[in-house]
Amino acid sequence: MSEEIELTGQIVKHYGSDKGMLIPMMQDLQAECGYLPIGHLRCLAERLDVPLSRLYSVATFYSSFRLAPKGAHDVTLCMGTVCYLKGSPMILEAISREFNVEAGGTTADRLFSLQAVNCVGACALAPVMVVDGKYYDGVTPQSAIEIIQAFPCEEETAEPSAKEGAK
Amino acid sequence: MPTVTIDGQKVRIKKGLTVLDAAKKAGIWIPTLCYHPAVASEASCRLCMVELDRGDWRQLITACNYPVRQDIVVYVSSERAEKARRGVMELLLARAPESRELAALACRMGVEKTHYPSVTESQRNCILCGLCVSVCEQVIGRAAIGFAGRGAERTVAAPFRQASEDCIGCGACAAVCPVGTIKIRLHKDEREIEISPFKSRAKMVLCERCGMPMYSGQVSREAMSKVKIGRKAFTEYLRLCPKCRRTETAERFASVPVRRE
Ligand code: SF4
Ligand code: FES
Repeated sequence: MSEEIELTGQIVKHYGSDKGMLIPMMQDLQAECGYLPIGHLRCLAERLDVPLSRLYSVATFYSSFRLAPKGAHDVTLCMGTVCYLKGSPMILEAISREFNVEAGGTTADRLFSLQAVNCVGACALAPVMVVDGKYYDGVTPQSAIEIIQAFPCEEETAEPSAKEGAK
Repeated sequence: MPTVTIDGQKVRIKKGLTVLDAAKKAGIWIPTLCYHPAVASEASCRLCMVELDRGDWRQLITACNYPVRQDIVVYVSSERAEKARRGVMELLLARAPESRELAALACRMGVEKTHYPSVTESQRNCILCGLCVSVCEQVIGRAAIGFAGRGAERTVAAPFRQASEDCIGCGACAAVCPVGTIKIRLHKDEREIEISPFKSRAKMVLCERCGMPMYSGQVSREAMSKVKIGRKAFTEYLRLCPKCRRTETAERFASVPVRRE
């Protein structure tokens, strides 16, 4: 609790308590916490004397804000025209089904967050999947799942339970 | 005072009032949904479109928020205006296929059915007019609900889609919703009022005489804090439900000795 008050206090002070700077404040909060925790948003709303419903509207309007913590890995699937034509919807469906996660969501075990974006600017490699900044080309539903399934092995020592959760 | 000519009929209204005000004065009906005199006009439903004469061309405008500044000529029942409004109505019907209020309005406009597919379950029946959001913020001063998401996923919701702590259970949102999406549910056993679909609940005050739940306790506290004069009379007024108030008044009258001739 006190951490929430302290952090939001710092952020608000940094912008001179200006309500008009709500979005930059929320961006800073997200940069600190990795997402926008409910408690922090409540604190922020109170401090700025802005209704919580307004903060929620802003948080859900911009796709760059997230209300739930991110997964350990970032999986970005390109849905641009070329990738789309070369089958990325099928890949998305396969990933969603296999790991029970929707585009824009995070797996229950926080192994990875899945994002479907409009174009990653690598059409020649279509269909493209980007994992933690690394580009994979010519992905198929099968290979996409294999790539993701390979994560836990790298971190077996750090997160022994992650592998089971992913299945 | 500028003159507004609506379908050939002339009315003079105060500068700054809207085309809708002028039409009302002229006795001409324009369908509206998102317009409510208690809140600022957002012109979000687009149902009140009429044609404005611009000399060599005509423009579709929303009557509910178009301010009259000089003499203007508008057409409410021109073919284009009617077609535009009916088109909007068809879209709205697809959004709120179960609303009786909307169906009645559509009928009055001569729209029988919609050619558009209905929207998904989660967005059912809300036309996103924003009246509930405005009334909660501008009139009640709570802003317990707001818009969430965007594009096709836009909905009206309380923060985090949980019961809102800011909600006092007044039911103003339910009262203004033009399509009957927001409902007040009474949970008599728990003495609670629920505002559906926002899940917020508030404890109710009971009638001192018959024990019927009357209104949310927070609403009465809020109301009391705003009453400046006649506080005592108001407190007295809040004590009983309308029925018991009538009974009590009647009893009081009955107990007054009557002078007989
Ligand atoms: S719930 Fe009713 S009042 Fe609120 S935006 Fe939807 S249609 Fe309008
Ligand atoms: S009533 Fe005018 S736009 Fe809704």
